Amino acid sequence: MSAHTVWTAIRNSLRAIRNGEFLLRVRADKLYMHILYLFLLMWLTIMLSLQVDKTLTVAGANKAAIEELKIHHAEKEAALVKLRSASGMEERLEKMGSKATLPKEPATRIKRR
Amino acid sequence: MSKKSEIQDTIENRDRIHVVMFFLGIVFLVLGGFILAKVVHIQASYYVDPKVVNLFRPTSQRHVEEPVRGRILATDGRPLAISAPLYDIYMDCTIRKRDFEERGNKEAEQEWRNKARELSTCLSNEFRDKSADQYYNAIIRGRDNGSKYLSIQKNIDLNTLRRVQAFPLFREGGYRGGIIVEAHEERIYPYDSLARRVIGYVKDTLRRGLEANFDYELHGKAGYEWRRVTDDNSWIRDLDSNVVHAVDGNDIRTTLNVDFQDIADRALRKQINENDGIRAGIVVIMEAQTGAIRAMVNLSRGNTPQTTLWERENLVLREVGEQGSVMKTVTLLSLVEDGHVKTLEQTLPTNNGFVPGGYRQDVHILDYQRETGRRDITVMHGFEISSNYVFTWLAENYYGNRPQEMFDHIYSYRLGEAFDFDISGLGTPVVNRPGTAGWSKTTLGTTAYGYGISVTPLHVATFYNGIANKGRMMKPYLVESVEKDGRVIKQYEPSVLNNICSRNTADTVTRALRSVVMDGTATRLKGAKLSVAGKTGTAQVVLTPAERAGSTDPYHDPRGRKKNQGTFVGFFPAEDPKYTILVTVYSYLSGQSFYGGTLPALAVREIVDQIYALDPEYQQELHRTGTVPVMKTETAEP
Repeated sequence: MSAHTVWTAIRNSLRAIRNGEFLLRVRADKLYMHILYLFLLMWLTIMLSLQVDKTLTVAGANKAAIEELKIHHAEKEAALVKLRSASGMEERLEKMGSKATLPKEPATRIKRR
Repeated sequence: MSKKSEIQDTIENRDRIHVVMFFLGIVFLVLGGFILAKVVHIQASYYVDPKVVNLFRPTSQRHVEEPVRGRILATDGRPLAISAPLYDIYMDCTIRKRDFEERGNKEAEQEWRNKARELSTCLSNEFRDKSADQYYNAIIRGRDNGSKYLSIQKNIDLNTLRRVQAFPLFREGGYRGGIIVEAHEERIYPYDSLARRVIGYVKDTLRRGLEANFDYELHGKAGYEWRRVTDDNSWIRDLDSNVVHAVDGNDIRTTLNVDFQDIADRALRKQINENDGIRAGIVVIMEAQTGAIRAMVNLSRGNTPQTTLWERENLVLREVGEQGSVMKTVTLLSLVEDGHVKTLEQTLPTNNGFVPGGYRQDVHILDYQRETGRRDITVMHGFEISSNYVFTWLAENYYGNRPQEMFDHIYSYRLGEAFDFDISGLGTPVVNRPGTAGWSKTTLGTTAYGYGISVTPLHVATFYNGIANKGRMMKPYLVESVEKDGRVIKQYEPSVLNNICSRNTADTVTRALRSVVMDGTATRLKGAKLSVAGKTGTAQVVLTPAERAGSTDPYHDPRGRKKNQGTFVGFFPAEDPKYTILVTVYSYLSGQSFYGGTLPALAVREIVDQIYALDPEYQQELHRTGTVPVMKTETAEP
């Protein structure tokens, strides 16, 4: 293909674009459905990509929320466990003016039949 | 071609090459100069437009996901150490200052300062460590001085952080309110100081206790993922890249019983808290049949009596020392096992408490002679009153010709080696056996009553546990399993260190230990709610050269002061031993003496009584004799 041929093709194309005849000149009407399909695919791709981003953003936020709940759980667990210590219990009872102390005798269990 | 024209061509070629080379040289020179100038320019005054920088910045960033460190649990699953992040709050005091100045907006600046005052009030109310004015002055001073990192508060939990983030100014976020939050993973110990020396810690290069020894199980494995920014500036995972998920650390379930630990800690504190002469105290409670350690308390003061009791060092494992009379049981066990002492009622002459060969006279024997008028004494009574003479005599009489026989026993009781343990650092015993530098003609006799052999308290407790377990000496252990999400992935079973004696020998020695409590040096335990068998021991501690201050006596300083330790070690219930217990108190350098039959025995009694009340083993069953009617209220539907 010579340079002249290429130049002629470019010139004709530019003229056709200027005259609004480009798609007709290349007979794009035959490919109309394909072009529509292509646009549909592109739109779908973009939409799906945005949806994936959105889902991942929600998933990230949920993950952060779960992590936060785990931290809350650990902190609460530590606080509750602290309350269960025998010496802590006795101290609190004493502070409250209670006469109750830790057991001096073992508990008596009722035997199940 | 003539020779002349050939020469002419050569000259022209050379000229051309010269010209090309000249121009190339010039080009390189200019390029060099340009590079040099560019270097100077970049170093001195080059400014990169942030927009340009953004174009070069990768669209994905690597995000490291840190694993959560595993928990350390008590035997019933209660957490002893858990991980959770704590937060440090800082403030960029200069936030929006330049913006306000450039726009000359004094009203906005004043409004910012008003919010800072409100913030100060909230901070003061929340933390109660400074007044609102102090907070405000610090913030304004920071704003005037250009402080971008003013420390507001450290180590706060998540709830507090959320409240602080809702305060005026801070609620506007980092770019407008100047709040900077830094999270750091911290270990939380719900029981504060309880068993802290056993639990240990890992902090940079400092590594102690279970945290250090089981770090490979606890720390987990970090993961990473690549994240990219979305159109609405959120960071999401980049699905086109690799993801390695973090693996959280495994949990360690220990053998420790929190209630026992608490009881032991409290009982020991009660005995030594008010006594300024006591430097430290320890308690070990071990399960007889398995060797599982149910409590290990290590309380000590600092260098001065004024410092509070705290779990500072693991004395149970590391305090290698002469244990005194509690080692008489070692001698008795060997004698009974070898058949030298066939019955505890066997007698030996009293000889005014004097064994020939350079030994000191035992004044207890003189008292005994005076009180009873007898010139012989039973092995049992010698053990009850903890007579050094009796045990020196027995050792010299039966092992004098073959001392190695007695030391073979000592080694078979694992008292001559640092056996493997779940926490590293178990002290290595020092045994002055025949052939070593420390051996002399009196070493056999002194070893028989606990001097000349240095072991750790854990060695002593393990030995007594062997007697409690009828001759099967169990290896003490602290970790029973490694777990992942509540599922056991590794189980540590009890193991036997050695079979140290026959069942009959163990029963005989148990009888002797019981008589120490009933009629001997540990009568303070006589009325305990569970029958206790055990031995007291009082030992003088070898002083350091600094403490000795020139004195030639290794146990006394020039002012006659000494350091001693009092121990009670035994097991309960004596008839069917379930737990072995050891309590030792260590004194400061002083003129006072602390005996194993006093503070340690009192602590043991309190511990035994409380374990009796709490252990389900000792609960009584009430057999149902009638039928309890179904309770109904009047309004209740059937």
